[in-house]
Amino acid sequence: MKRIAFSSLITVLMAGVGWAKVDLVTLPSRDTVQLTIYNSTDMTLVRESRALTLKDGANALQFSWANTLIDPTSLEMLPKANADTIDIAELVYPPRVRNLGLWNIESGVSGKVPVEITYLTSGLSWRAFYMGTLTEDEKTMRLRGYVVVTNNSGEDYENAQTRLIVGQVHILDQIAELARRQYPYGRPGVAPVPQRMPAVAAPAPPQMEMVKELAVGFDALALRPKEIAKEGLSEYFLYTIEGTETIPNGWSKRLQSFDIEAVPVVNLYKYEQERYGPGVVRFLSFKNDQEHKLGQTPIPGGMLKVYRGVGQEGHLSYTGQSSFKYIPVDEDVELNLGTVADIVVEPKLMDFKTENYRFDTRGSISGWDEIHTFEVEVKNTRDINVKVEIQRNFGTQYWDIRNSGDFGQFEKVDLDTVKYTLDLQPRSSQTFEYVVRTYHGVRQQDWRPASR
Amino acid sequence: MNTKTKTTIVLLVILSIGSVAFGRIKLVALPERGATVIRLDNPQATLIEEERVLTLQKGLNKVDFSWKGVFIDADSIRLQALDHPDQVTLLSVSYPPNEAALVWDISSGSDYAETVRISYLLSNIDRLITYKAVADKAETFVDLKSYLVLRNFSGEDFDRARVLLDYGEAFEQGIDHEETKQMLFLKSPGVPVTKVWKFDAAVLPWDPEKLENQNVGIPVSYRIVNDDAAGLGQFALWGGKARLFQDDGHESTIFLGEDVTTLVPVGEKMELYIGDSRDIVVTQRKMTDAQINILRRNDNRQIVMYDTDEEITAKIENFKDSSAVLTMIQHIPGQWDMEECNMKYEKKDASTLEFEIQLPARTEAGPAVKELTMHYHRRHVRPGVQPPMPTPLRRR
Repeated sequence: MKRIAFSSLITVLMAGVGWAKVDLVTLPSRDTVQLTIYNSTDMTLVRESRALTLKDGANALQFSWANTLIDPTSLEMLPKANADTIDIAELVYPPRVRNLGLWNIESGVSGKVPVEITYLTSGLSWRAFYMGTLTEDEKTMRLRGYVVVTNNSGEDYENAQTRLIVGQVHILDQIAELARRQYPYGRPGVAPVPQRMPAVAAPAPPQMEMVKELAVGFDALALRPKEIAKEGLSEYFLYTIEGTETIPNGWSKRLQSFDIEAVPVVNLYKYEQERYGPGVVRFLSFKNDQEHKLGQTPIPGGMLKVYRGVGQEGHLSYTGQSSFKYIPVDEDVELNLGTVADIVVEPKLMDFKTENYRFDTRGSISGWDEIHTFEVEVKNTRDINVKVEIQRNFGTQYWDIRNSGDFGQFEKVDLDTVKYTLDLQPRSSQTFEYVVRTYHGVRQQDWRPASR
Repeated sequence: MNTKTKTTIVLLVILSIGSVAFGRIKLVALPERGATVIRLDNPQATLIEEERVLTLQKGLNKVDFSWKGVFIDADSIRLQALDHPDQVTLLSVSYPPNEAALVWDISSGSDYAETVRISYLLSNIDRLITYKAVADKAETFVDLKSYLVLRNFSGEDFDRARVLLDYGEAFEQGIDHEETKQMLFLKSPGVPVTKVWKFDAAVLPWDPEKLENQNVGIPVSYRIVNDDAAGLGQFALWGGKARLFQDDGHESTIFLGEDVTTLVPVGEKMELYIGDSRDIVVTQRKMTDAQINILRRNDNRQIVMYDTDEEITAKIENFKDSSAVLTMIQHIPGQWDMEECNMKYEKKDASTLEFEIQLPARTEAGPAVKELTMHYHRRHVRPGVQPPMPTPLRRR
């Protein structure tokens, strides 16, 4: 249903003559429409072109948008020809009429004039989601990206060029709130009272569930999935979907964004008691770069469902799912697939002692050292190679450490955290030991950083 | 076209017959409102000036001025005779009880059809300023437009008035009650902009790896200078909402973001926060924080004063395919001295350090990486009277 009505009222505007008495003259239809949909906030930039028939002299053009979610303060009209002879003098929001704007235009030409009208609306949204299919050896993953565009704007946009923006845009007011205002710019003197929503349009929040999915339209492109062109603009990425789309109000549409056959992945397992609890958490790790057949553009955040191929007949087993954040080009991706039982990390306190006691003038204890000896056993019960990262936090910056055994790579992460990185062969285990001395009370003064 | 006008300001000339002072008799035809000025130069209040012709008789005249349904500051009402200021004198003003009205006692030297100017502060009529800027694809300049939005919710219809701002030409405009009008009043193409990325260690999280699945956006702003070189600098730019767009190179634009600016005097900078960059990643960590140089102990051998040994590293990665200049703000409270710092900084105040970090574009080898290392000592730290630590706060 078309709810945006656009009428051109041609009239001689005499001083003091109210516009309301003017008759409609023409109702030009939309020639083209372009949607630029944002996903960080509920907002879409709409650009339409229409051919207006203007008369030489004063023209009044009425634009109404009842039951849509347009922000009236964002309306702008620009002539695309004869720009120097067409003066768009003002945009009037008449009293006691809602969802209606009136452009007063002084034209030096008469005849058809192409104009471009832009505005922001809410109710259209898009999201990214992904499907990953691991090979049986879990060395590579077929990664398919999709975008789902949903229209709950109250307006049917037919044959719209559809563009999607990936990025974090700064917004002061929600477009939906601006659209519901009784007066476009509010009113002075009193605080704006939230208005009831229009009866017809019932936009859901942008993270709404899909209602329905439409098959790709039966046009010339129907025999192959549409391409999505990607380019960087300012701090954002612009996805342009090939051709045009028709997404009626209330409908969603899913389109394939990319399909990469074999992305090399690392099976990474992490253990950090303070963060993940006693279990080992599985991560799928790869990099958004050319080596991993990616790296053309950043990957917008979304949910990834991971499957694993089983057997020769293309059967699948569901591995898990992970939502991930926006990944810049060349950035590492770590997808949390949840706690697993087939990799085990067991730190055991093998010895504990205290020493180097200090006493104050009253004879109370004022300083001491604590020495913890931990034995850490790491077991890989799987048939594949895995990488295991173990982080240990000491809760104080005054510590010394001594490692022994198969501790792999050792790294100081920050002042009270260290990390061990181990590579384990299929069905193998490794054990290492560390002795950490922590300094307490006045003993902290005797501590010297090992790095200097 | 007074059919629509709900004029609620009533001006009556009361012929003073003898010394009748009670029971205010309202007589005489309503004088037509003449030239009207809506003066919007003060953002706090709108001044209305209107001219009316009063038929005055020689001697004492009582003129009744009342209003209904509009908010007029009664103390702001002024009357000025324009034709015979020497002969027409306002003697006193009376306020009748429980009425939005006043009565002027005017002495006239003769019978005059006197044009008077009545001025008053009227509520609920004002103006807003909004900005719309379209940047070029390279983000080096913007085409800046500013709109004046007149909002009239005063209860009064103005058929035609001269509207005055604090700058620019006055213009004729009519505006009805509950009407809003948006007019283009400034068009300045090719205004140079500087793009600014800013990481403030007191505002943004330090270690993005500790955030589950969240990007830390580095705030990005456009900086515009209100001066001649920018094609501006004629007058202060009023505060208002600014929406920024960018030419996308396909004869279309994308919306970059919006911000609200405060008043920008001539010569000053306007900074508009458009959005967050997720392609510049800062990972800041504290690597050392220890007490050294115990300066004093009390009788209980408790430390009462010491110095610190602190080390902070901040890794900055640019994943963008273009270069950028990151402004990094670090905070060290209290008395301190820098032992070693591998980058140049400007001390903005006692505890604020500002680094300008040039980040080249990402290359095929990966992101451009720079690492800041600050090794410093805070001096004469006293337990209990410690100045606040530069702890990461919640992001804006």
